[in-house]
Amino acid sequence: MTLSDKLYKILIQGGSWKTILGGLWVTVQISVFALILGTVLGALVCQLRIRKNPLVRFIASVYIAVLRGTPVLMLLLLLYYGVLARAGLKPVTVAVITFGLNVSAHVSELLRAALDAADKGQAEAARTLGFSAWDTSRLVTLPQVLRIAKPVYQSTIVNLIQWTSVVGYVTITDLTRVINNTAARTMQPLLTISIGMLIYLSLSYLVFGVFALTDRAEAKKRRGDAE
Amino acid sequence: MSLLEVRGLKKSFGSAEILKGIDLRVEKGERIALIGGSGCGKSVFLRCLTLLEKPTAGQIFVDGRELTVKGAKVDEIRRNMGMVFQKFHLFSEMNVMDNLCLAPTHLLNMSRPDAEAKAMELLDRVGLSAYARRWPNTLSGGQQQRVAICRCLMMDPKLLLFDEPTSALDPSMVGEVLAVIRALAKRDMTMLIVTHEMSFAREVSDRVLFLADGVIYEQGSPTEIFDAPKREKTIAFIRKIKYFSFEITDRRFDLMRLQGGIQSFGENYGLAPQQIYRLQICCEELVYEMLAHCYGEARPVDMQLEVSYAEADQASEIALTCGGAEYDPFGQKDDGLGVTILKSMAAHLDYKRTDKRNHITIKL
Repeated sequence: MTLSDKLYKILIQGGSWKTILGGLWVTVQISVFALILGTVLGALVCQLRIRKNPLVRFIASVYIAVLRGTPVLMLLLLLYYGVLARAGLKPVTVAVITFGLNVSAHVSELLRAALDAADKGQAEAARTLGFSAWDTSRLVTLPQVLRIAKPVYQSTIVNLIQWTSVVGYVTITDLTRVINNTAARTMQPLLTISIGMLIYLSLSYLVFGVFALTDRAEAKKRRGDAE
Repeated sequence: MSLLEVRGLKKSFGSAEILKGIDLRVEKGERIALIGGSGCGKSVFLRCLTLLEKPTAGQIFVDGRELTVKGAKVDEIRRNMGMVFQKFHLFSEMNVMDNLCLAPTHLLNMSRPDAEAKAMELLDRVGLSAYARRWPNTLSGGQQQRVAICRCLMMDPKLLLFDEPTSALDPSMVGEVLAVIRALAKRDMTMLIVTHEMSFAREVSDRVLFLADGVIYEQGSPTEIFDAPKREKTIAFIRKIKYFSFEITDRRFDLMRLQGGIQSFGENYGLAPQQIYRLQICCEELVYEMLAHCYGEARPVDMQLEVSYAEADQASEIALTCGGAEYDPFGQKDDGLGVTILKSMAAHLDYKRTDKRNHITIKL
């Protein structure tokens, strides 16, 4: 069989490409919703993690420690077969919740690190001008935090996309699952899985590319009227 | 009513009591310089005035409104006071214009065009109108500090607080910032300045407070404090100069010992790392320059190096005397690398030949 025959078999025959795209779409959906959930939740957890109240702080750190210190697949199994087994949720929803929780712990920590790195003097300067604590956070500290957190956030997203490849364990037909099925059906594991990896790789580089574009726009703005 | 009144202000960090009861009245138009040794609480005092540090006890009134009472509208009262920080702290995520317009547009409901017009006027006054669209990180320290002063002025404060506004600057940029403060003084701005620039304090202030032991130890007019200090610690602070000396008797002397000596001397007296580094570089270059030109191979070396430091104005001086041939390192046609470095670092260079010895003084 020539290469083109193999490719035809893997990608075209019987509308195979539609199945692969369908899997990709599931992967993208889970990633996007988990990212949104995780970011919102992570910001909240970070808020709790830096509270003065030691009990609140403790609870937040336990939450973070557990989620960061255990495999996300275990969490997925725990929620799907255990905690949420009778909730009647669709597997994809459980996956979104799982990855959302996992990402929230990472986002919380990366936000905290960025807050630490932000220039406290700028906040003080804003306070002495008369800004309230809230306005200071919103107008002065937050923009710094976003800039500092951005590179780490980017790799969090890429990690998330890759980790969603385990959702096949709970019957979800995502990209990895589809590729695996196709490889078995066509008896062409080497080529099929390589194609699958290429798709993941492009997805990751799409994320990097988007971030690189925003970086470039930012740099241009900062250079803007210089000289 | 005084513009600023402080009664019995105390501040402790843990068990360390930094401020032990400060009373102060500042009238409108007064310009007050706060001086004192490192760690005497000058900056803490200033930070207490804006409640960046919460005083342990005492009262603060700004323009008749008490800042320290429970339920005081702190954010509102703070608008009357501008604070200029040692490290500028310009908002890093916006350009100069936005730095200036942020507070008035948000807090005073000034329209953006009005704010921009005012900002341009202020920038023009400090010589930076061409830099309105630049970002803070592209400006020099001196420029950033001038913008920071403008940022305060945008709020039309009744009182300006300066927390060592030139300490984080390269020597070459101190002048431009002092010039701006001087210009403000001429406009009868009420100011409280924590500073180590003694000559500046003397020139610009009409009252000098010397802080020691957590209290205002002595105060008076600049002439009283600088020319005729009365109390023991003030005299020590104003007059006292610290020395470090080093003798070189061999051209293969122990350079590391010299550098180490300067290092620990500097650290003992609280010199900034940058300043210590400059002293080390200057000493090294000067010693090698003189070794190379004054002594032939056979001659014994008799070189005496003295480093002194005056706490009051944080000025340091290097004095070197050596025998051998007459050689003025600063009077040559072409400067070698060493002399070029010295000239770029020093505020003042001097050479004399007396008693068959070369005398060189370098002020940093």
